[in-house]
Amino acid sequence: MGTLGHVILAWRAHDANVEAEVQRARTDGDAGGAWLERWLAIRAAIPRGHTPTGLDLPRLALPELDEPGAIARYLLGQGLPGEFPFVNGIHSEMYLQAADGKPGRRLEEPTRLFAGLGLADDTNARFRYLTQHQSSVRLSTAFDGPTLYGLDSDAEAVFGKIGEGGVAIDTVEDMERLYAGFDLTDPACSVSMTINGPAPILLAMYVAAAKRRWGDACAMSLRGTVQADVLKEVQAQNEVIFPLDASLRFLGDMVEHCVRALPRWYPISISGYHIAEAGATPVQQAAYTLSNGFAYVELFAARGLDVNTFAPRLSFFLDCGLDIEYLALARACRRIWAIGMRDVFRADERGQRMRLHTQTSGRSLVAQSFKNNLTRTAIELLLAYANTTNSCHSNSADEPFTTPGEEYVKLAANAQAILLEESGLFRHMMNAIAGSPGMEAVQKAVERGILDEFHTLDELGGVLTAVEHRYQRSQIQESAHRYERQIGAGERPIVGLNRYRDESERLPDVEMMRTSRATKLKQVARVKAFKKRNRVAAIRALDSLSRVVESGGNVCEELLDTVEVCSLGQITTRLHDLVGHFRPLV
Amino acid sequence: MTKRPLRILTAVPICDGHDSAINTINLELVRAGVEVIYLGYHRSARDIVRAALQEDVAAIGISSYNGGHVEFFREVRDLLEERDATAIGLFGGGGGTITAADAAQMTRQGVDRIFFAGTPLDEIVSFVLAYGKRRGVRHRTAKSPRGTFPTDRTIARTLSELGPLPRRLASQPRTVGIAGPGGAGKTTLIDELVRRFLATHPESRIAILSHDPSILGKGALLGDRATMIYSQNDRVFMRSLATHGTAGGVAAETGRCLEILRGLPFDLVVVETVGIGQESVPFAPGAMDCSVLVMSPDYGARLQLQKIVMLDVADVVVVNKGDLAGARTAVSEVEHRLRAAGGQQRVIATVAKAHRDTGVDELLHAVLGTRADTV
Repeated sequence: MGTLGHVILAWRAHDANVEAEVQRARTDGDAGGAWLERWLAIRAAIPRGHTPTGLDLPRLALPELDEPGAIARYLLGQGLPGEFPFVNGIHSEMYLQAADGKPGRRLEEPTRLFAGLGLADDTNARFRYLTQHQSSVRLSTAFDGPTLYGLDSDAEAVFGKIGEGGVAIDTVEDMERLYAGFDLTDPACSVSMTINGPAPILLAMYVAAAKRRWGDACAMSLRGTVQADVLKEVQAQNEVIFPLDASLRFLGDMVEHCVRALPRWYPISISGYHIAEAGATPVQQAAYTLSNGFAYVELFAARGLDVNTFAPRLSFFLDCGLDIEYLALARACRRIWAIGMRDVFRADERGQRMRLHTQTSGRSLVAQSFKNNLTRTAIELLLAYANTTNSCHSNSADEPFTTPGEEYVKLAANAQAILLEESGLFRHMMNAIAGSPGMEAVQKAVERGILDEFHTLDELGGVLTAVEHRYQRSQIQESAHRYERQIGAGERPIVGLNRYRDESERLPDVEMMRTSRATKLKQVARVKAFKKRNRVAAIRALDSLSRVVESGGNVCEELLDTVEVCSLGQITTRLHDLVGHFRPLV
Repeated sequence: MTKRPLRILTAVPICDGHDSAINTINLELVRAGVEVIYLGYHRSARDIVRAALQEDVAAIGISSYNGGHVEFFREVRDLLEERDATAIGLFGGGGGTITAADAAQMTRQGVDRIFFAGTPLDEIVSFVLAYGKRRGVRHRTAKSPRGTFPTDRTIARTLSELGPLPRRLASQPRTVGIAGPGGAGKTTLIDELVRRFLATHPESRIAILSHDPSILGKGALLGDRATMIYSQNDRVFMRSLATHGTAGGVAAETGRCLEILRGLPFDLVVVETVGIGQESVPFAPGAMDCSVLVMSPDYGARLQLQKIVMLDVADVVVVNKGDLAGARTAVSEVEHRLRAAGGQQRVIATVAKAHRDTGVDELLHAVLGTRADTV
């Protein structure tokens, strides 16, 4: 039996223990009394606040329980917000407004919007626009195709892709331009980069750019995340560039380096988003994401890293769509993660918490009558926050056509503000929505579905073996095919597409975000100039990198020097020579 | 001879990994009887056009979601024009990322059709099937000047028509047949052999005949190219064949195709079978200069080895996936099985998925009949 088998056993044992405690609370008078006493103390300690209409409310909503068994089942089975197994969230107060009642002034907004277009300068301007009204700076960076695949803008055949769908980054100098004007060392600033195959290189560029501005010591205060989830790339997103073994080694090097030198950085974002977008069902999304997470923990532990040094630096990224599973998907995931980390990997409490970023579903958005996408995203946002996500990206309604234009980006950001600041659902009370019988029924069904998938993966020999046999890929593809057929057959209603279709409608005229030929040529010239200027130093730096790769040293650490004089493409070319290319799975 | 099925090439552009839509469309086309040659994702326009010419397809379908589609489709169209192959159709889609204005521009630039988000799958299938009716229009086949290597198009057309046979050459290319059960890693091994051969023989040219099964009564998904990295090269000519229900591991026309390729100045011709069963002997005696059986260590109980007929006729036996538990046992069991039957064939352990695997180096020498110390 492998890791996932042990997680299944731990999950069962946890449920059995809870039920045993419930029985004890009911039959053993002392135990029952202790539970009642604890419950009363918890309730008594809940602070209260007033709404603008003058309503007096507790800041935490708890079920009305007066029977010791039910109390034990609640506190052990789902826990209070911030308590094991974290079903109700990993912190005790998530989106609550300050206790003094002043609305909308939290230290840090959970809103984090994804942006990337054109060259570094263009994206920098977009970042400034997005953050102009925020008290904290939370940037989320989308890279263009060549960057995602580790290619320079002057590489053969990629010209048309420069700056499309994301920002073109070739060198440390582009990275300086990208975040210019933001204080990257500010505790309230965090930077997320959606990059996977070349993640160690982009992280090295980021750190090098910051050091140029704030000096070597700034590494201690840099805060952010790179996605770096190569397993989900192989399963769904197809942006892995090195063979899996080498990719996992570079990832391990990066995690080790971050634990040592970048204590505030999250070196991996374990992502179900792309798995779901590629067609997985919600349960498949959750099962593959969590199992990938456990596989990473096993790998890093096998390198000799102490689980308590890296587990608190892991974070997750899930999709939130309109299927009913999303009513409780993240709640189910947090519970399984907490149990697995505590009981199988012996992680301490910080490592048991599943930190979660959510994005509303891009696949649920359609081009026909596209303004309906505003409604879809609003419902998904409600589901995401009802699942106490730690941060959230809301999609723009125009996303089926293009990198979002400013008008729709603003609407998407405002949707979050309306939900969290204007509506009373989340700012007065934790758990105002949580805990309905339906939500709990969905959570149980989702958990069982996830564990069934774990069982299959375990039988196949674990996550990595299943990947080689392309198990996850074929499951995801099958689900995608079924989804399309269901839409075609009308079994899956999509308003404006197979229901209530407006036959007179033409494709909308939306503001298109495109990168001009002149802009693309500018980037090509920039990277060529960089390479020319550093041509001598680059040779030495690449040879030094080769030695580190071949001697088994920490590649990520070496890259901090390499990126000073080498472009992304120069580095990946050298690494490909040394470790090969990823062979695509179909 | 029965009517040739419609052949279509599908791919996702360079720097784009969005293969969910194209996977679904591939399946639908196969159900409708089309032979789909799938090139995979992150493919350059040059790779796409080369493959389309070599596979002699009626049309190219491109699914693009990462932007830059106007330029990319134009690049494909330009390359087709440059190679005098505008008879090959070009269609595509990109969900909502391709706007009506883009589509209009792309159509003006020679794209036959762009499908928008929400197009029913059946509509796409009937559009593609119509390419079958367009055929019969004779392609102009440019004759290659004497003394030059024939173009991909010329070779491809000759293979499609199964003739005429080129004149026999004084020295024929070395012909290697690679057979083995499904999942043993044949395609990966061939791609690794190609990489090494191209590197060690700088002027050389390689031809590959690859086989995939047809789904009974339907089309076929010919997907070997999608997992090959090094074989998408101007010095490599590759043709994917569907078996059309022919048993034995190759197609009815394979023999004839092989004759054609052997009459051309290639240095190496590789034939890859479909995944074969225990009793299959896909290559006639003497048909190959070297026949290779590729196995994976998980063939089951030792008794199973007795039933594998090709073990007795293969020139080289490869036990791939040497990193799996049980690989060493498998190698010694296979050797024992061969020797017990009086066979002297070499058994080579490989890890095709590893970069610079020495087992694959050894295999290259074995199939070329060279010694490891001569290169």
